[in-house]
Amino acid sequence: MSTVTITREANKALVQPEGDVVAASVSELRSAMREVISCGVRELTMDLACVQMIDSCGLGVVVAAHNSLVKVGGRLSVVHASKDILALFKAMRMHQHFSVTGD
Amino acid sequence: MNQSILEDESLGEYLAECREHLATIEIDLLTIEQGGTEIDEQLVNRVFRAAHSIKGGAGFFDLTKIRSLAHKTESVLEMIRSRQLVPSSEVVSILLLAFDKLHELIHDVGASDGADISEFVAALTGLAENSLPAGEKGSVSERVPVQIPQSTWRIQASAFDLSQARRGGKSIYLIEYDLIHNIQRRGKAPLEVLNGLMRYGILLETVFDLDSAGTLDEDSSNQLLLEVLYATALEPDLIRELVEVPEQQIRVVEKDGSVTSLPDWAARESANCGADNEPTPSQAAPEAFTSTLAVTPAGRSLEVPAKNSMANSATPGENTIRLNVALLDTLMTLAGELVLSRNQLNESLSRDDRRGIRSGAQRVSLVTSELQEVVALTRMQPVGSLFAKFTRLVRDLGRDLGKDVQLKVEGGEVEIDKTILEGLSDPLTHMVRNAVDHGIETVRERAAAGKSPVGTVILKATHQAGQVVIEVSDDGKGLSVEKIVASSLAKGQITLEQRQTMPDRDKLRLIFLPGVSTAEKVSDVSGRGVGMDVVKTNLDRLGGKIEIDSVPGSGSQFRIKLPLTLAIIPSLLVSDGCQRFAIPQVNVGELIRIGCTQIAQRVDRVGDAEVLNVRDRLVPLLHLADLQGIPRPDYGSRPMNVVLVDTGAFEYGLVVEELHDTVEIVVKPLGRHLKALADYAGATILGDGRVAVILDVAGLAVRAKLNGGTVEADGRHGPVDTLAVGELRSLLLFHNAPAETCGVPIEQVSRIERVKPSQVEYIAGRRTMQYRGATLPLVTLRDTATVQELSDQQRWLVIIFERMGRPLGLLAAEPLDMAEVTIEIDTVTLRQRGIAGSTVFKGRTILLLDFLELADAIQPKEVPEDASPADFVDRPHPVPTVLVVDDSEFFRGQIQRLIETVGFKVMAAEDGQAAWELLDQHPDEVDMLATDVEMPRMDGLSLTRKIRSDGRFANLPILALSSLAGDEEIARGIAAGVDEYQVKLNKEELLESIRSAVSRKNNDLAPRECLA
Repeated sequence: MSTVTITREANKALVQPEGDVVAASVSELRSAMREVISCGVRELTMDLACVQMIDSCGLGVVVAAHNSLVKVGGRLSVVHASKDILALFKAMRMHQHFSVTGD
Repeated sequence: MNQSILEDESLGEYLAECREHLATIEIDLLTIEQGGTEIDEQLVNRVFRAAHSIKGGAGFFDLTKIRSLAHKTESVLEMIRSRQLVPSSEVVSILLLAFDKLHELIHDVGASDGADISEFVAALTGLAENSLPAGEKGSVSERVPVQIPQSTWRIQASAFDLSQARRGGKSIYLIEYDLIHNIQRRGKAPLEVLNGLMRYGILLETVFDLDSAGTLDEDSSNQLLLEVLYATALEPDLIRELVEVPEQQIRVVEKDGSVTSLPDWAARESANCGADNEPTPSQAAPEAFTSTLAVTPAGRSLEVPAKNSMANSATPGENTIRLNVALLDTLMTLAGELVLSRNQLNESLSRDDRRGIRSGAQRVSLVTSELQEVVALTRMQPVGSLFAKFTRLVRDLGRDLGKDVQLKVEGGEVEIDKTILEGLSDPLTHMVRNAVDHGIETVRERAAAGKSPVGTVILKATHQAGQVVIEVSDDGKGLSVEKIVASSLAKGQITLEQRQTMPDRDKLRLIFLPGVSTAEKVSDVSGRGVGMDVVKTNLDRLGGKIEIDSVPGSGSQFRIKLPLTLAIIPSLLVSDGCQRFAIPQVNVGELIRIGCTQIAQRVDRVGDAEVLNVRDRLVPLLHLADLQGIPRPDYGSRPMNVVLVDTGAFEYGLVVEELHDTVEIVVKPLGRHLKALADYAGATILGDGRVAVILDVAGLAVRAKLNGGTVEADGRHGPVDTLAVGELRSLLLFHNAPAETCGVPIEQVSRIERVKPSQVEYIAGRRTMQYRGATLPLVTLRDTATVQELSDQQRWLVIIFERMGRPLGLLAAEPLDMAEVTIEIDTVTLRQRGIAGSTVFKGRTILLLDFLELADAIQPKEVPEDASPADFVDRPHPVPTVLVVDDSEFFRGQIQRLIETVGFKVMAAEDGQAAWELLDQHPDEVDMLATDVEMPRMDGLSLTRKIRSDGRFANLPILALSSLAGDEEIARGIAAGVDEYQVKLNKEELLESIRSAVSRKNNDLAPRECLA
């Protein structure tokens, strides 16, 4: 089971999911991010240092976060993505929509 | 462009000349690339001159775009010639693309001035300035939008990538993935899927539909759309298997950027056989030669409409053909002679001059044969035209895979019928691609194996005895027989015993079985799986045969033997009833006439099927009369005529009423309403004007359910595997006394040891021997049944069984054999204690031992503690009951006794219907069902479905026991509601399954009650 650590500073927040971002665990991540955005966070950084795998639902949540942020004029960035996850984001051209960097 | 110029004859000549230049340039450039810094000046000069003359003519006709593009290529070539520029593969790629563009411009010369050549000019200029870094290849690209159907968005792809992919013989597909339904729900990860795609092609571009993900405020989306633009050399039928999305989500991107749905494979096949061509992805190259004006040496121009391809382009679907004028002249002369002969014949007929008629008829016959030969010649095309396209394919594929591969072509001048040549294109592409992809190792692996770093793929064509032989060989790592066998075994295509007896050559042929071609499984079989069954099917259709040779570590060789032409084939005429049939000679192995007195000796029955003994092989027999639905002739008074036919995959005997001559027949396609019949390959008109249909021997076999699942030519396995209607079992055969052959199911045997009579001890009234440091009790069949005593003269065998966890030996005599037997057990005649019954195999009567019964009679039951029913004391009924359903009394008895040894109660039923009736009457008494699958009246799966649809039995564990245990069967079983599927009869596993299922059922009940 994964846990999500959130560090917030003014309108910036750092979201650090731990474990796999997969169907079984995304609802927690989804609600955590929804909450910080509704509290006024506009620059959300998702730190994937402790994430080994993202499945389709996981991707859906990342994109949903991007969509939510764009709607309120905010910005998503993904950092410390593992080699595989980075490859996946690049293959899906996610990096053309928000910033994605590896570890 | 001025219309009058277009009509100018000299322009036509110029264009034809350009095409000739362009046709040779590709090969030359690739050779230059191979040379690297070692520049062959003559070669570069030739390409240079070609570019120069294209430029010159374009200047003359004021074709500005062609001129300027030709000029740029000329400058780059000049730099290569003067060694200012190394012809690296980057450089050659750009040159190739530029020449491709020139090709296109020349094809539609009228529109050439309006064409956009800027990116090509820019790329060439970049090269000339030697300032094009490899990373900036993207600057060469123009973005081309591809419209996604039923959507407002577009996917932008680089024109450079698209065109390069196409030139490599690849097709471009637009695939729509729903990440949730197509990936997540199938238990896959997106990266896994994308990597899967990348193994077989290139992801040109992807677009993720961001909106489909919604926002965080919405519920998680159940649809995430990803459009993938994918370039691959895989054909549409294979892409379906690889991609695993519904077919309507895969689309083909045509050359003009338009998007069409995936062509129906079957429709495409039939269209290829027919006269017209349709746009298919494999038809990537532009139809550049559609209006070829072929300039002949005599300076005359000819345009001969024909249905398909032409010398320097093997692209299917072109409708002109280049022909030697001399050949046309010969045709004309022959046509003239035919007219003269006709006149002579008419004249003689009107005068009723018999001699004149005879000589006229002779002349007509002579001229006709000659005419036929010459016309056939016009259809002959050099295979070199087909081979040429592989140079590029090998180069591009090698580059993509990071391998150094060269293609050597030999015998390009060998000619073959155009239809065959076209049909060869796909199979050869598969094979060459496989050779590069899976055969040739990487540079590092080659170095480690002490091979030259450059891998070689050889395409070779030769004439051999009226056939054309095409070889595709590579010096790579060869095929791994073990992996192929393991994979086939896993899929249930062969049995363990076959694995041991099958020659290596036959094992290699297993790769032609379908199912070895699906994408995931390819790697299991060291590659060499992609569509080899499709290759085989295509070749079969062309009347071709394929052989494989492989030496591990040093490469493999595929040899295809093809007829020269398909239009006229030598065939054997046979008849049945009043109908005549033709069997293509290529399928005919031998003709056998069996005298009526011999029929009984040579024709045996295995299960429901008849088999013929041909030099100690058993070959399945089909009666043509049965297939036609007419009564068989009476073989009591007449000999039986058998045509031994070979489908390519296996052989069988076709019983016909009469055999006639071998004649050359002209193949006529069947009418539309008959085309769907797989039994017939076509029709022909015989000399007497009657129609004979041509039998498709493979089609007949399919209809008679003799499928090609067995590849070995060894008929001993053929009939039992393909015709198995009864119960197929592996039996261990041995002797008791010399005249008494006994058999026991091999699964029950744990070991076999040899022992001297002197080693057997008689202690406390029992026979024993020392075995692995313990005392092994021994029994003989004579202990329970009236059989002869074992002879003391010979060495004995001890067949060791396991009974209740302890070994027990049965003394027997040699020889020892194994056989796959379709058992029909006679449980009456020879039934005794310890002998369950008898069966007849190869003319011998075999006593089937019931070992458990034998052991029970000699040693009292000792039920091991761990399996005692005490485990289940707190259950609703004290002793669990298993309902055993099997139509074979022998096996039902075996399973019953086996289950009883652990103390369970057994109810038995001989088929699904009986089982259902029992279950229906005693719904609360049965704790588990163990059922056979193949049974009369109601089979195991129908029974399972029936049980599952009845609420009373929702929790009843169902165990399917079957010798049919391929993946497919298992999947079907699971789908029907079976909990577990076992290949019978493995005692330990069976007992374990029964124990765990029964206890699971009881545990299941408890929590459900709690919930309630």
